[in-house]
Amino acid sequence: MSRPYDAIIVGAGHNGLTTAARLAKAGLRVLALERRDAVGGALVTEEIHPGFKVDAACHQIGVLHPGVVGDLDQALGVTPDIVRCDPVVFAPLIDGRHLLLWRDPATTTEAIATLSKSDAEKWSSFVELITKAAGLLETAYERTPPDLLSVDASDLWSLVRLGGRARRLGKREMMEVARLLTMTVAELLDEWFESDLLKGTLGATGITGMFQGPMAAGTAYMLLHNHVGTENGAVRSVDRVRGGVGVLSHALHDLARSCGVEIKTNASVTRIVVKNGRATGVVLANGDEIETKRVVSNADPRRTFLDLVDPLDLAPRFVRQVQNIKYRGACAKVNLALDTLPRFTVSDAAHLGGVVSISPSLDYLERAYDDAKYGEISREPYLEAVIPSLADSSLAPPGKHVMSILVQYAPYHLNDGTWDESKTSELADRTVKTLTQYAPDLEQIVLARQVLSPRDLETDFGLTEGNIYHGEMTLDQLFIMRPVPGWARYRTPIENLYLCGAGTHPGGGVTARPGYNAAREILKDVKRK
Amino acid sequence: MAANRYDAVVIGGGHNGLVAAAYLARAGKKVLVLERRHLVGGAAVTEEVYPGFKYSVCSYVVSLLRPEIIRELDLSAHGLDLLPLESTVTPLPNGDYLARWADHDQTRRELYRHSPSDAEAYDEFGTLMYHLAFAVKPILSMVPPDPTSLSPGDLRSLLKLTNHFRGLGEEKLYSLIKLMTMSSADYLDEWFETEALKATMSASGVIGTFLGPRSPGTAYVLLHHYMGEIDGAFRAWGFAKGGTGSVSEAIASAARGLGAEIRTEASVARVIIENGRAAGVALESGEEIRANAVVSGVDPRLTFLGLIEPDELPSEFVRAIKRFRIRGSSGKVNLALDALPNLACLPGVGPHLRGAVSISPSVEYLERAYDDAKYGGFSRHPYMDIVIPSMIDPDMAPPGKHVMSIFVQYAPYELNGGWNDVRRENFGDAVIDTLSEYMPNLKDIILHRQVLTPWDMERDFGLTEGNIFHGELSLHQLFFMRPAAPWADYHTPIKDFYQCGSGTHPGGGISGASGRLAALTMLEDM
Repeated sequence: MSRPYDAIIVGAGHNGLTTAARLAKAGLRVLALERRDAVGGALVTEEIHPGFKVDAACHQIGVLHPGVVGDLDQALGVTPDIVRCDPVVFAPLIDGRHLLLWRDPATTTEAIATLSKSDAEKWSSFVELITKAAGLLETAYERTPPDLLSVDASDLWSLVRLGGRARRLGKREMMEVARLLTMTVAELLDEWFESDLLKGTLGATGITGMFQGPMAAGTAYMLLHNHVGTENGAVRSVDRVRGGVGVLSHALHDLARSCGVEIKTNASVTRIVVKNGRATGVVLANGDEIETKRVVSNADPRRTFLDLVDPLDLAPRFVRQVQNIKYRGACAKVNLALDTLPRFTVSDAAHLGGVVSISPSLDYLERAYDDAKYGEISREPYLEAVIPSLADSSLAPPGKHVMSILVQYAPYHLNDGTWDESKTSELADRTVKTLTQYAPDLEQIVLARQVLSPRDLETDFGLTEGNIYHGEMTLDQLFIMRPVPGWARYRTPIENLYLCGAGTHPGGGVTARPGYNAAREILKDVKRK
Repeated sequence: MAANRYDAVVIGGGHNGLVAAAYLARAGKKVLVLERRHLVGGAAVTEEVYPGFKYSVCSYVVSLLRPEIIRELDLSAHGLDLLPLESTVTPLPNGDYLARWADHDQTRRELYRHSPSDAEAYDEFGTLMYHLAFAVKPILSMVPPDPTSLSPGDLRSLLKLTNHFRGLGEEKLYSLIKLMTMSSADYLDEWFETEALKATMSASGVIGTFLGPRSPGTAYVLLHHYMGEIDGAFRAWGFAKGGTGSVSEAIASAARGLGAEIRTEASVARVIIENGRAAGVALESGEEIRANAVVSGVDPRLTFLGLIEPDELPSEFVRAIKRFRIRGSSGKVNLALDALPNLACLPGVGPHLRGAVSISPSVEYLERAYDDAKYGGFSRHPYMDIVIPSMIDPDMAPPGKHVMSIFVQYAPYELNGGWNDVRRENFGDAVIDTLSEYMPNLKDIILHRQVLTPWDMERDFGLTEGNIFHGELSLHQLFFMRPAAPWADYHTPIKDFYQCGSGTHPGGGISGASGRLAALTMLEDM
């Protein structure tokens, strides 16, 4: 028998692949195990109707960690072709007016002026503030959260660097950023702007994936989170991958392979073997046990600690902390195969290349949340729709299109019943009906539809409660508190068991940052021993 | 001339203004308090609005008053007499109720009736909150440092703070972070399962804020209110004998005893500023009063946008004050009653009438009450916290009669269409109608009713937008950001001009802490 693996990665999502590649590159013998028949987790492109391909779950990516982009470039010579749409956002109103946000703040300023002169004047300073604040976050995202109770030299250095970076902002802006971190996105936007459509459309960035309305504290933080690393001046990351996000999964797969990672699909891990408080291997669904020096879980914290590890191997208090992690998935996906390009009440086709955002006002978003708060699907949901076939003809037959819609709110916990077929189709009906108010021909041109409820996201992609971030991105579940207080440094109470998924700092979105940071911490431990 | 000059003039004879005056006088300073109304106390007043019946018109319970203030000003000697509240009863829609009593074992038995696991968790929770409140206490008595400053004083203060928190140990530190960031409903969900218990406890997380129990940030307000339940001097919420006004009276009496002068019906029109320094105040009457320092106990909006010419202040600061969130969210209904109300769930006269009745059957009930307010309506079925002070202090009403104080949430200051006499009465009706569901005889025994909307509180008590805390206790308005960084240390951009109201750290409730810290800061400067 060959020597045991240095590391087994449980789950080959984009973070798992990133960690695998980094570890293998450092000389470790790595095996990545994926339950599904393909790697990439929620980054999959599927054919939903003959000739129509769509990003089934996640339809746009954040800004990838530069280190990962570098790895890809170095190993493969190519990086996935990122579609940088412009305009970034098209937000229509029923009465025909609309808002366009462009990459260039000056162009956006002109566009906003049609809604409000005073808002237009403030736009570039607003973008500047948000960009500065997001820049500060990025610095924090590059680092492992410190251990507050025993700050060691590297933590201290980290904090000093962060402090230094913050100080460069200047006193006044430092305070502004401090405010931003805890505010509600509604308060923030009300302080700056008057146009309901502008506020609704920006506010939507603050609630994406959250079981919160724009009037909840912490949503301004989410707006910043979504802006980290972007340079598009539209306060939103909207990059897509040409050919679909599946292309990125393939690239990460190839990268991992080229670094020497073994990858097994259709290999579902059912248990992490723990002996004397140390992770020593994994057991697969078929009963095979594979030994390893360490296990790195890309699954979310709840799945990792409550399903894969025997709770008896954990302290009761830790188990309780894991049970207390809030998931509460809030969104669903509706994907449509379309016979033609939908005709929105205004605007030419070129304006539809980015995100079509149905977000007429902050109140609209809040009301959508009100329904979900009591366990109902939003009567009028917030919609983030993209038509990737506009910029990428490989996704649909000529003249035809695909539309991918993120629908919010679709609460995982329904007030009456569960996510059965009738609920799922009710969700799709409401989505199409809502969108038809803005694009009157939409109902007639739907050839096929695919619906993923929060329950489906859980079943298909292993996302607990359908939460796309592997755990809510609320203030109490960030930084040193993510995934649970005291264990934010990718290590766990079980020796040689690590986490590398979005349930760890800095959280959700397709950035590969958790995986990148986790690999760094694991390699530190490898060196130490 | 020089003999007439005061060392300090205090604008507003609310409890914080009075506390500040008392501390200044205690240090030998010549102090004058100026109060617009005919009596001192601000929102902490007792008034006989209807003959024979004394209402604690606004603020109605006491518990947050800092023990060091009671001690240092010897308030007991000045007539302060605090009477504990016995219980909190939450009537339930199914005719049952949930009660928590002053007696620990009785509470435990009652909780056990609803949920054995909650009865177990309740003690553990209480212990943790006790420790957390204890951990936060030093911060309440601390002048907030400026975290962006590199001055030795601020750095020392920050270091002290850091060490203080690290000294708490893991569990308490993380619990505190959670309390600072979570919603009260989520926080309580981690502990309890009984809906009415979670709702009634989370209600104290939303009092005075324009937030629902599921809004992040409300868990902190929960803790803020918990301080009252644990502080050394008295362990429960209580009344002041003679109504809340007697707290103010006691502080005023202490201040006078220490040599402070207090003038009522003396409304300040503006602060006199000469060469960038506060030099006194001008009254509505035109009279000018000179002083070496001026301190304002009124809220930040009124202070900086009402009493000072805007061009005397940096525009940045004016902007910060303008966006300081004040939004009033609560109303008050005071009733004169011909007899005792009868609770459907606990008929007859009993010890429960010596405590609070909380209309908070479920978290969803509170959340729906908030939903109404979010969109500019008053709650059709509001959250209510009800006490009958005359049960504890018979002097509050004629023999056999009673006064009832109803704190009501939510009533937004910005009501759709604006507040007027008709809408005020509609609001009062919604309160009485909802309450009658739980107290069937209520409508028959009302002799007089006083309804205060946020709009009334602004007009009558100078509370901007009717906010009882002089500004929301939301995360970005606390500590070094209250009311605006870097002016959280009771100074203002104008030399010799200070602030001492609830709009400064630690803000909110009849604690007197702001007044005390402001006075100590001034004395240090003098």
